[in-house]
Parts: sequence; C-alpha cells; structure tokens
Amino acid sequence: MSKGIPLAEALARYRADADIAPLPGSTDIDTLLNTYHPDHLRGSVVKLAVGANAGDSCQRELAGLLQAEAFIDEADLAGSPVTDIDVLVIGGGGAGCAAALAAAENGARVLLATKLRLGDSNTVMAEGGIQAAIEPDDSVQRHIQDTLRGGHHVGDPTLVSALAGDGPEVLHWLINQGMQFDQTPSGDLHTRRAGGMSTPRLVHCRDYTGLEMMRVLREAVIQHRSIEVWEQSPAVELLSNEVGQKCVGAVLTSLNNGQLRIVRTRSVILATGGLGRLHLNGFPTSNHLGATGDGLVLAYRIGARLCELDSFQYHPTGLVHPSHLAGKLVTEGVRAAGALLVNGLGQRFIDELQPRDVVCAAILRECSEGRGVRVNDQHSGVWLDTPRLERAQPGLLEKQFTSLMTRTRVAGIDPRVEPLLVHPTLHYQNGGAVIDANGATTVPGLYAVGEVSGGIHGRNRLMGNALLEIISFGRRAGAAATADRDRGPKKVTLEHVNQLRRALTLAGLPMTQRAPQILPDYAAGGVWNR
Amino acid sequence: MEPLIIQNPQVGTPQVLLHPERRVGADMSRWRSSGGGVALERAVKNPAAVLEEVRLAELRGLGGSGFPAWRKWEAVAAETPKPDKYLVVNGNEDEPGTFKDRLLLEETPHQVIEGAVVTALAIGVNRVVFYTNPDLTRSLAAMKAALEQWQASDLLAQASTALGRPLELELLPGSGHYIGGEETASMEWVEGRFPFPRGKPPYPAQAGVHGCPTLINNVETIANVPHIVAQGAEWFRALGKGSATGTKLYSLSGDVLHPGVFELPMGTPLRELIYIHGGGLLSGKPLKAVFTGGPSSTLLTPVDLDVAMDFDSLRARGANLGTGAMIVISEGTGIVKRVAEYERFFAHSSCGQCNSCKVGTANMSRLLDRIDTGCGTAADLATLKNLCTMLPGTGRCHLINGAVQLLDSAFHHFPDEFRQALH
Amino acid sequence: MTTSNTTANGDDQAQSVALTINGLAVNAHEGMSLVEAAWHGGVPQVTSVGCLEGVCGSCRIMLRRGKEVTVGLACQTFVENGVEVVFLPPASAPLHHYEVSDFKDGWDIQARFQDIFPEASRCRHCHGCDNACPKGITVENGVALAAAGRFREAGEAFFECVMCELCDAACPELIAPAHVGLFSRRVTAHFHLRPPNLIHRLEELRKERMENPPKDRRKKNNED
Repeated sequence: MSKGIPLAEALARYRADADIAPLPGSTDIDTLLNTYHPDHLRGSVVKLAVGANAGDSCQRELAGLLQAEAFIDEADLAGSPVTDIDVLVIGGGGAGCAAALAAAENGARVLLATKLRLGDSNTVMAEGGIQAAIEPDDSVQRHIQDTLRGGHHVGDPTLVSALAGDGPEVLHWLINQGMQFDQTPSGDLHTRRAGGMSTPRLVHCRDYTGLEMMRVLREAVIQHRSIEVWEQSPAVELLSNEVGQKCVGAVLTSLNNGQLRIVRTRSVILATGGLGRLHLNGFPTSNHLGATGDGLVLAYRIGARLCELDSFQYHPTGLVHPSHLAGKLVTEGVRAAGALLVNGLGQRFIDELQPRDVVCAAILRECSEGRGVRVNDQHSGVWLDTPRLERAQPGLLEKQFTSLMTRTRVAGIDPRVEPLLVHPTLHYQNGGAVIDANGATTVPGLYAVGEVSGGIHGRNRLMGNALLEIISFGRRAGAAATADRDRGPKKVTLEHVNQLRRALTLAGLPMTQRAPQILPDYAAGGVWNR
Repeated sequence: MEPLIIQNPQVGTPQVLLHPERRVGADMSRWRSSGGGVALERAVKNPAAVLEEVRLAELRGLGGSGFPAWRKWEAVAAETPKPDKYLVVNGNEDEPGTFKDRLLLEETPHQVIEGAVVTALAIGVNRVVFYTNPDLTRSLAAMKAALEQWQASDLLAQASTALGRPLELELLPGSGHYIGGEETASMEWVEGRFPFPRGKPPYPAQAGVHGCPTLINNVETIANVPHIVAQGAEWFRALGKGSATGTKLYSLSGDVLHPGVFELPMGTPLRELIYIHGGGLLSGKPLKAVFTGGPSSTLLTPVDLDVAMDFDSLRARGANLGTGAMIVISEGTGIVKRVAEYERFFAHSSCGQCNSCKVGTANMSRLLDRIDTGCGTAADLATLKNLCTMLPGTGRCHLINGAVQLLDSAFHHFPDEFRQALH
Repeated sequence: MTTSNTTANGDDQAQSVALTINGLAVNAHEGMSLVEAAWHGGVPQVTSVGCLEGVCGSCRIMLRRGKEVTVGLACQTFVENGVEVVFLPPASAPLHHYEVSDFKDGWDIQARFQDIFPEASRCRHCHGCDNACPKGITVENGVALAAAGRFREAGEAFFECVMCELCDAACPELIAPAHVGLFSRRVTAHFHLRPPNLIHRLEELRKERMENPPKDRRKKNNED
C-alpha cells in the first residue's frame, strides 16, 4: 500500500482555515461497501464445516478458532478443585457486571470469573455514550427503527424492541447504582445525536461514559455481598451434561499458575466480549487486551448457534500514530460535534455521520485510490479535522473530549493545532451467539450477553447501543439465569468436546490449532502453557 | 502490673547502666547517694573536657546507627545558637523486639537526665527534649517525676549558670508512630507536626528543630555519658570486648528460655547471649535464625553464633547490630510467616511521603501474605525479588532499606522455604 | 496495516533503548510504551494489562530512575535508558464495605460516610496519593472534601479516576482514596441526579404498561 500523499507534504498542505468544497453528489452506498469494506474482501470469508452453523459463512480466522481442538480433556479434570455456585458469569466488563448484579439482586449466589482484572473490558473505553429514547420528540419506536435500519435490517426485531424499550429504565438503574451523566442547565440529561440516529438520543458523561459506567459497576460488584470475583481466571471450556446438550458449568484456569478449577452451576452467563485482539484481516484494533473471542469458541463448541460471523464493525477513526495508541479510537462524538474527515488533498469525501461501515469504506477507498495520507509502507489514513472544529467551537475539545485530550497530551500531540491521522480499526463483532429476549442461547443453561451475543445490531451497530445492550441484556440474563430452578448438575462432563472432536475428524479438519486463544500471541508470554 | 522485663544479671558481668544501685526510679536522693551528679559537677567545671572524653571513649550511637557520637556532638558544638540549640533524647523505641530504652527511662530516669544535661553543657545546648514513646506510661511517669525534682534542684541551676543561660528540660510524649524514631522525623514532632522524615541536607546539626542546631541521640547513648565523664574513657573502653567499647543493652526475645534486657560487654558473642544469659532455646530446640536490629536488618543463622555482637563485627558480616534487638527463632518456626509479619509492620509504619517506600512495602507485605497463606505464585516471588533489587536507596529515610534488607536476607538464607510455600 | 497494534514503531531508524523490566534486560525502541517494551522483550507474566489507553488502571508499575522511584501506568509511560520497571500485582481486596442500596436517606449520608470510611478524616497530608496518581488528580483535596461532606465536589475531583488504586496503596492511613472518590460520585448520582426528561419518559412508559400489561413471562415471574 505505497499509494498516497506523503505525510510531510500533506501536513504542509493542510490548513485549518481552508475553504472546504461541498461533498460530491450522492454516493452509491452498496457499491462502496461491496468494494471497500473488509467484510467483503476476497478470501476473508469461508464456510463452516462442523457445528450448529455448518454451511454458514464465517470470517476465515474466526472459523479456524471455532473449528479448533480444545485445550483439555476429561483426564485434566481429575483432581481439579470444584466450586458449586448458583450462577457463573464469565467476563468482567459491563455486561458481566450487570448480569452478576441482576442475578444477585434476584437472590443468586454468583461467581464472576474474568480473564484479566475486573473492569478490563471494552466497556471502560466506550467514550461516546449510551442510547435511550428520553427526549420529548423521541420514542422507543424511533429508537427501534434507527437500530434496525443501521443494522441493514438484519437485526432481530424482538431483541431490538427489548433493547430500545429498556433504554429509559436502564438509565434509571444506572443512576441508582451511582452513575453520573451530563445534564443541561435545566437538569435534563444531555443528549447528542450521532451516526445513524434520527434524533438526539445519546446520553453521556463527558467522553468518559464507559469509564464512569465501568467504575461504578465494578465497585458495585466488588461491594456486593453475594458476588465473588475471580480475576486472572479465563474459561478454557464449558461443561456439559452426560449427553453434551446442556451447559452445567465451566473449567477455569489461572493466568498466574495454570491451575484448572471446575465450577458447577445451574446456569452460565457468557459475557466475554468481542474479538478485536484477533486482528482479523490484519487490522489494528481498538479493543482491550483480552478481546480474543473466547466466548464464541466456547459457545460454539457446546453447540450454540451463532449469527453474522462474517460481519464486523471497523470503526472509521482509529489513530494511526503515535504507535502506542495505534488502532485506538477517536470517539465518534468528535464527528458528531462537527469534525470533518478530510483526505490528503484537503477534500471532504463522505458525510461524516453516515453509519460506521459506510464511513469506514469511504476512508479505505480514499487510501487505496491514493488520496490518503501516507506515513510509511504500512500506514496511511485521512485527517480528522479537529483544528477546524476548535476554530468553530473554541474550547469544545478541552471541555467535552477530556479523554482524547489527555491521551494525546501524553504523546505530545495537540488536536486543537494538528489534525489527527485516522484509519479504520477493528472495533466490534456485530454478530455472535443467537439469543432470545432473556439472553438465553440455543443451549439450555447457557446465556450470552453483550458483544459475544448476536442478533441485535444486525450487520452494523450504532454508537451508544453497545452500552445500552450490555446493561439491558445483562440484567435480563442475570434475572432469567436465576429463575432457572432445576436442581443443578448431577454430572459434569466434556461430552460436547468429544462430539466436536468426532465431527472435526469426520470433516477431515486438522486439529493442530487450539482454542480459545485467551491472549494475543504478542502478549502470550505470561500464559500458563505457552 | 508486673514488670515486663525479666532480668538475670550474671555474676562477673559489669553492670553500668543497669547496675542494681542505680535502678532507683525517680528517687533523686537515692540516685545521688549512689554516685549520681558526680559527672555533672565535673562537666560544670570543665565542659570542654566532656567532648574529648566521649571521643576517646569511642561512644557510638546506640539507637542503631553506630555512628561515633562525638562527630555529631562536634558538629553541633561548632554551630552558634539560632537562637537556641536543641538536644532531642530519642526514646521513641517502637521497633519490634526492642525494649531497652523504656527500662532506662523507667528505672534510671536521673541517669538519663544527667547524661542529657552533661551533653548539653558539652556542646552548648539550652533546650533538651526527652522524646518518649507515648504508650510507655511507666517510663513517662518516672521521667515526669524525675524532671520535677530536677527543676527544683541545685543541679539544674548550676548547669544553667555554667551554660550562661537557662537550660530548659522538656518531656514530650512521641506520636506513637515507629517512623517518629527517625532522627529528622522526631524534629518534626517536636515542632508540632506529624513526624515525617525530612530530606538531608540540611543536617540537624546545622538546621534542626525550628532551624536551630540540633543533636539527636538515643536514650542509651545519653545514659552512658555520665559514666564516661565520671570514670574516664579508659575505663569505658575496657568494658567492651575486643576493639569494641562500653557495654550494650541487648533486648533478647523469641524462642528463648529467659527473654529480657541484658547489659553485656559490647561485642559479646551471640552464643553467650542466647545460651548463657538467655538460658538457651525453649525445649532445647536447635537455633534457626535471629532477627537483629529491630528487625530491619539481615538475619543471623547458627554459623554466626560466635560473631561478636558489636557494630563493626556485624557490619563485616553484612549484618547490623541496630538497637541490639535479638529475636530468636527456633527450628520449626516458619521464616516466611515471621518475615511477613515484620514486613506488614514496615508497610504500616511507612509514613507515606515516598511512593517507593509506601507502595513498595505495601506490595511486599501483600505478596508475602499471599505466599505465606499458600496463595502465592512463582510470579509473586519473582516480583518480590525484583522489588528488593529496585527499592533500596530510594526513600527519604532508611525504612525501605531495612525492609528490603530483611527480606533479601531471608531469601538468601532460606530460599527453599519461600519456594515450598508457593501454590 | 500491521498484524498487531504494537509493532508500528519497529522501523530500523528508531534508536534502541536499554531498560530492565521485571528483572529482565530489555532492548526497546524509542517511543514505545512500557507495555510494548515488555512484549517486545518477551518479558513473561505481564498479564496485568487491559485497555492500553490509560483508562482501565490495570498496568500498574513502579519505575526507578536514578534514585527516584515513581508509580504509574505502563501503557502511559515510555521507555527510557537505564530505568528499572516492575509490574505490580493487582490491588488487594477493599477494606471498606457498603452497598448504595443500603442508603435510604441522603440526610444521614455524612454519618454513614464516617462509619464506612473512618480513616478519611485522619489524613496526615503526606501527599503520597497525589504523587501516586497517574491522572494528576488532587486526591488529598478530594478526600478532604468528602470528609467534609462535600460529596459532589469530591466526586468531581475524582472525575478522571481510572481505579488503578495506586492511591490506596500509597496511603499510610489506609483511607482508600479511590473508593472515597467513587463513593462520593455514586451518592451524588444516587441522591441528586433526577433528570426531568428521563423521569417523564419513565412515567409515560409506566402508564403504557398499566394499559397494556406485558405478556413477557420473565417479568411476570419477577412480580410474583
């Protein structure tokens, strides 16, 4: 990718006060997506050969993990300590905490196991806000319509109406937990409009919405008397009953010493988040270190049906440099506030508030057609024109985008003076485990909430719906999992693993790769058996 | 309340500070009839001779530094009052296993006061602060009673005359914090603030309490002064064994038959202290280790039994005499647990000013607790060792150094115990 | 494009920087964060890493530069020649216990705070917390505000808190400032955030539900 305008030349050409020509006429969205969006790259999608989604399309690298060998077999379970608990939540982000709190509120004893530290998640980095239809001219119905339209009408209307309908109550619950939001002078919750929204609906806490949410939920979980937390304890396998058809627990390991622990439970809630750290199609990612798609692998292996495995959200504005922030986001809120995208020639090329997939494809088009700004052979991008925004609304960046300013200040960059070089970055897994309105997967006893689940966002997620989803469905699943009143497992087995191994052998697939991945290769030095 | 200290003076061992005739409490007349006040009379006549005598006696700082006392004295003597000069007699004594100063203050308060007054005359100090651990109520009561008698006595009047200005004596209960025993921290407390150690320079001798030249000496150091003045440097030097001078109050505790404070010649071997004076180990168990210094120093093990317990001999072994505290551990006692206890003490005692010390000791303590309770991992042990490499010399005072020295030494002598305790 | 986020600076011109991480000698490139350097140098057991952008508070380190030791976050600290770095273990379990749902009344919240965080009024002003905070929060002042019952202002002081809990480790009085800050923020929202637009919409939805009771089985179960 050596095309593009060299960085120095582009910088010299850049003027914050230059006149910007209006956008060229209407873009053919479908052609743009089909030509430039990474989901449509040739060779990036394969058909799954085994499992509940056999015959379905799946991103190539993800397919390799879904059809991989497990880490353990029954011999490994002998002698491992066993813990019995009502509800096991796997994942310590927003969805996991919401699920654990809801289950505990409903009287369950809860174990929350998380791969890294409680709160290490994508939730904590969500800057934009949370959608909820609370403005007088807004309605739950409009929220539903926007969400379905944004997802290219692939989303499940039942799930979407559950999500949108929960919006106001979710805010109520969060405020009760002690989460703060920005207010207007009259005390209303302040709302913003962002990509794909027909009206302002994005409630926020400056640009630290995810951090504010996560630290409140984290504290609520730590303080809750009925919730036990195990950190540095990723799940390596789920446990099934004798016939391999019901989830009755999980096997956890320890990042510190590799010891396996068996948890037997009535229900398991997967809240493991996304998979950006698999760096699909070679893209950088905005995700936290633990986002390696473990939940998808575990759910698929025990027989859960997944959906939209070939659809991922590449956030349009990932930073290109400084290197330690490569792939990290500049929140869409900056564009919502009026920042333009400008190519290396100083031209606008897309309506900045189009859905993320469209904006992303447009940036990739600019780069591949030589109008991008080239840093070196591997890196190019386009300008996010923050200095122009600062000229139009002095002080706005410092006041409303504290997080962005803090992060760039560490690297000696001032977005008020220099435009930011951005490039699409792997941000979100649109699909995931198929669930019902209670977050139940197709496997009894197994729930999935948050990014690991699918069906809500169709093939594209709107900003602010992820934070809503994790609380809405986290609470739904927590309550439903507690309501499951069978007597708990009689026997815990790895029968589903045996079944998958037979299927893999039958399909002639190699069992050389093992999954889940747990940590990306470059960080795997600390992991138990690598 | 029964006395805490079991004292077994051994026949043939010269008792100076703890001589039975001097252990008269706050009774001034009994103290004077046993020879009290003689040194002061000499000092009043010839204050300049005191410093020289102390120098010849090679009196060391007995609070743990082992620094020659006369060097600090000389520095303060050379300064002009601004407008005062201070002597802080440090009886903060809060380190685990150390309980000698409380005995001197409680049973020989006049000896300590006379030592302080003689010192004041020698170096021109006009304000003396007896800085005492606030929890030692009996020591405080004895000192209070003794000081009241001094205020009314001719001795103080003579001293003031010799000094040429009023000599003021003050009893000041400390903060109850271990760190308050650190020399610059004690000055902060005297000035009415939390005892945070100060950075050096300036050194106390130049700018100490309220910016005045200040000498800070341990109670035991000061208590020796009258005897050096009264009986001479030669006599004092002869009390010690080998090249060491004077006597030392060793605080012996732990798994021994007779714990207590023992006044023995400086340089007495560990073997003699434990097996003769301490009566040997409980149930005749073998010796495993000795925590020295209070206990911010390296461990001694059975191979060190014949080392002379004086500053220089122990330093040559990479150890430290410290306050003379010897906490004896017998075979069968877990080292990890004991070290964890002491590190917890340091973590609680760190004043908070230096992140290196507070965050360092807090993490060391936490990791040790994890290892001790069977939850520790190899990574935890590695982190501990890395902290030990990184932290020394990074604090404003020496607390972090002591905490590291103790842990480092435990790793060195008992590596297997740490490994075996891992999860 | 790169296969990871972290190798962007691997070009040859970047100067080599020698440092020690967790006791191992590491050669890194200029401009690398300490997390990048640890991975680059193959340092094992570096799993206390999360967001890589300074908001999750996981990658807590102590760093020695000459005779000075500082604490901070590895993803926000850059390599320097000769520094020694140790990744710290996760923070210990909290010492103070409360559940916001236990508070029925905002009028006694000061008393409740004093019960839960008695140490907060014993600050000795050592500034250890201020020095430890990687976000430059005026922690000591925030604690003082909370101890004085000014929870809204205290919470505002902690706005940028990422819950690394380094201030907790740095506090000799065991005040747990990070949790004091979060307590302050939480009670402020819990008792004082009453937005009319949200309340109005909740009321509309409540009325709607009264008119058309839900058929959802789960909700029925919950009402039992």
